[in-house]
Amino acid sequence: MSKEKTYIEDIDRSMYDFRYEEKDVYKVDEGLTPAIVRQISEEKNDPEWMRDFRLKSLDIYNKKQIPNWGPPIDGLNMNNIVTYVRPNTKMHAEWDEVPQDIKETFERLGIPQAERKSLAGVGAQYDSELVYHNVKDEVAAQGVIYTDLESALHGEYADMIRDHFMKLVPPTDHKFAALHGAVWSGGSFVYVPPGVSVEIPLQSYFRLNAPGAGQFEHTLIIVDKGAYLHFIEGCSAPKYNIANLHAGCVELFVGEDATLRYSTIENWSKNMYNLNTKRAKVEKGGKVEWVSGSFGSHVSYLYPMSVLAGEGARSEFTSVTFAGKGQNLDTGCKVVHAAPRTSSVVNTRSISKSGGISTFRSSVVVQKNAEDSKSSVSCQSLMLDSDSRSDTIPAMDIRTQKADIGHEAKIGRISDEAVFYLMSRGISEDEARALIVSGFADNVSKELPLEYAVEMNNLIRLEMKGAIG
Amino acid sequence: METMDMTINALPAFTYNWLHMNEAHLSGVNADAEIPARTEVPQEILEETKAYGDAPANTAKTGAGADLDRLAERAGVPVHIYTAKKGRKVTGDAVRIYLDYADQGFEYDPKAGISGEGTGKINAYNLVLEEDSEMTVVMDYRSAGDAKVLAAVQTKIAAKKNAVLHLVQIQRLGSNVTFLNDIGGNCDESARIEVIRVILSGKNTYDGCRVALSGDRSTLGVDIGYAVSGDGRLDMNYDSYQTGKKTACNISAAGVLRDRAFKLFRGTIDFQAGCSGSTGDEMEDVLLMDEDVVNQTIPLILCAEEDVVGNHGATIGRLDESLMFYMESRGMNRSEIYEMMAKARLDAVIRKIPDEKTRAALSESGEE
Repeated sequence: MSKEKTYIEDIDRSMYDFRYEEKDVYKVDEGLTPAIVRQISEEKNDPEWMRDFRLKSLDIYNKKQIPNWGPPIDGLNMNNIVTYVRPNTKMHAEWDEVPQDIKETFERLGIPQAERKSLAGVGAQYDSELVYHNVKDEVAAQGVIYTDLESALHGEYADMIRDHFMKLVPPTDHKFAALHGAVWSGGSFVYVPPGVSVEIPLQSYFRLNAPGAGQFEHTLIIVDKGAYLHFIEGCSAPKYNIANLHAGCVELFVGEDATLRYSTIENWSKNMYNLNTKRAKVEKGGKVEWVSGSFGSHVSYLYPMSVLAGEGARSEFTSVTFAGKGQNLDTGCKVVHAAPRTSSVVNTRSISKSGGISTFRSSVVVQKNAEDSKSSVSCQSLMLDSDSRSDTIPAMDIRTQKADIGHEAKIGRISDEAVFYLMSRGISEDEARALIVSGFADNVSKELPLEYAVEMNNLIRLEMKGAIG
Repeated sequence: METMDMTINALPAFTYNWLHMNEAHLSGVNADAEIPARTEVPQEILEETKAYGDAPANTAKTGAGADLDRLAERAGVPVHIYTAKKGRKVTGDAVRIYLDYADQGFEYDPKAGISGEGTGKINAYNLVLEEDSEMTVVMDYRSAGDAKVLAAVQTKIAAKKNAVLHLVQIQRLGSNVTFLNDIGGNCDESARIEVIRVILSGKNTYDGCRVALSGDRSTLGVDIGYAVSGDGRLDMNYDSYQTGKKTACNISAAGVLRDRAFKLFRGTIDFQAGCSGSTGDEMEDVLLMDEDVVNQTIPLILCAEEDVVGNHGATIGRLDESLMFYMESRGMNRSEIYEMMAKARLDAVIRKIPDEKTRAALSESGEE
């Protein structure tokens, strides 16, 4: 068999890489100052406690250091980032009321179509604000609340928001959590009452259109006792020649015996610094399932964290990361076993090519009181050429004797034997390699609803070219 | 003598700081001399002494890192060099280095430094294997039961083409000993370094090892067996740095933690660009015997080369229930089973020691 290298195409981003001119948008000045934070707070008509919270967060941001681990973020200069961009529209509950260019944006991304076919509700954010939010009547009739976070902050759920907002991810957690606390805008609030099962998913989609802007949406989900929810998060942006920033925050509260599946397909453009924070707290008998596909961004720091706080709480984390040219994607997860008989399963795949850097980074902490807990971590990495890089950095901190902890990791290239086997069955070498790579990422696609699995497969589009044999 | 604050055992790639796994810090360390060693050296092995800066394997980077080099240089201790000459395969007997530490008269705490008057000790060694040579080196570290000791041993290795080194380091130190053991080596083409490290006691042990597999087809084998008990702390950093083609490393650690013991194992397989055809395997198996132990494990694979295969795995915790059921059905109680399996982990490593005399000595002392 020839040693000539297979060429694998970058992910096809043409369906995401389009843009519209900014029309009559309101934006704050570039940079990050107390005056800008106050301006955002006034624009959003924050209650007093939120304004104070933002300013305290800014103080924390200024005191926190940039991480001394992870990919370099030298290209991100906060003095050049616009932290708030409001499109010239209010939030609507009908797509026809959304301004034409914004509506077209989401149509090209397939959001209204997906809402009609397979979703119980949709929130669509454009730059810093939600432009569309709707939930099906039958889901609302179950008592499910799905609204934008700012409406919730001023309405009957104000106390609930105040009790939960940035309690799981405090601004002191790290520098970009503090940044989020200072300038957050947009995002969704979901509350699922006890015993209610939302049979079809809700989705929020975040689109960042403005060049040089940051998006800082906050997602807060509370799934009460015995309830079930599948929430899907999507995001994309057109590519610009200047840095954009995403520093969102997701806080998930999973009640006793409740289950929350949180799926993400992240496809930010390759000028994006994606410094996102996601965390779930799971009560007794509850379960959180993370399904994550990371394909975009120039630099990513993304480690969804599960805090298994109640006896018998469980978490599953399934992910695939694809790092191509110009990308440095540092992804993984964190699990804290903080109660007896908790369990976690981590199953990840990463692919790197054309100089892309992919790092799997994880931590599993089993606290002293987490007796009879179990954890299983499996991570596999595939290198498609020697211009790329793939690192695996898993940490385990075990503080009880009564634990069963297993970890395995593999790194390598496409097996010649597997290619030969498929070729002996009449499949061309190009197809054989494409099949193997697609199968490698199958752990995530099989966990997604069909429509999203198809989207993910389209997203990967691992086209094989050139002579291989 | 002025003390120095040291940062040692640093991971080649850092992770979350809140885990406190990236590196180890020692405050107020000093060392002004070596301790006299008792040695047995086969006739075929050349023995000499040089200043630290003139030692032939001096440039090798170590697992503990540059601060341990600085500690040795400041102390001005000589480097004892053992050389296996070209083409000489010394397989009948081993170079034996016995280091028996006496009480130094002061307490040492890694956070607070030295309390009282006194200085630590450091011994430095070079093991040089010329082309086509083979040598076994056994280093045996001991101390009197309650001796208060702060000490370090640094061993640097140069393995030339086709050379084979078997390095065995046995640690039986008392419960007041803070001990830094550091290895750094380089393997030329088709050379092999095999390290067997048995850690049976000690209060604070810092154990570093970094081997550069720079020659094509060079290999590294590491077997670590450890037992940490009482308030003992064991902090390890093993790094296989692979640049040659078709290199291979196999790092295996098996251990037992008792009482309030703390253990941190860092293990890195570092595939550098160009090391095509290389492999790396790493495995740790930790048996936790008591409720108050703390185990930290961080096995890294760093990869800048497509044509490699790397694996790592870890199992941590208690014994498998099916094994327990089987053993209990044979009439053993749970405590007996745990003791037996703990002993088995260390025995498996001790059996790999290629020196009969050392195995016998460990057997006599009840370690096997």
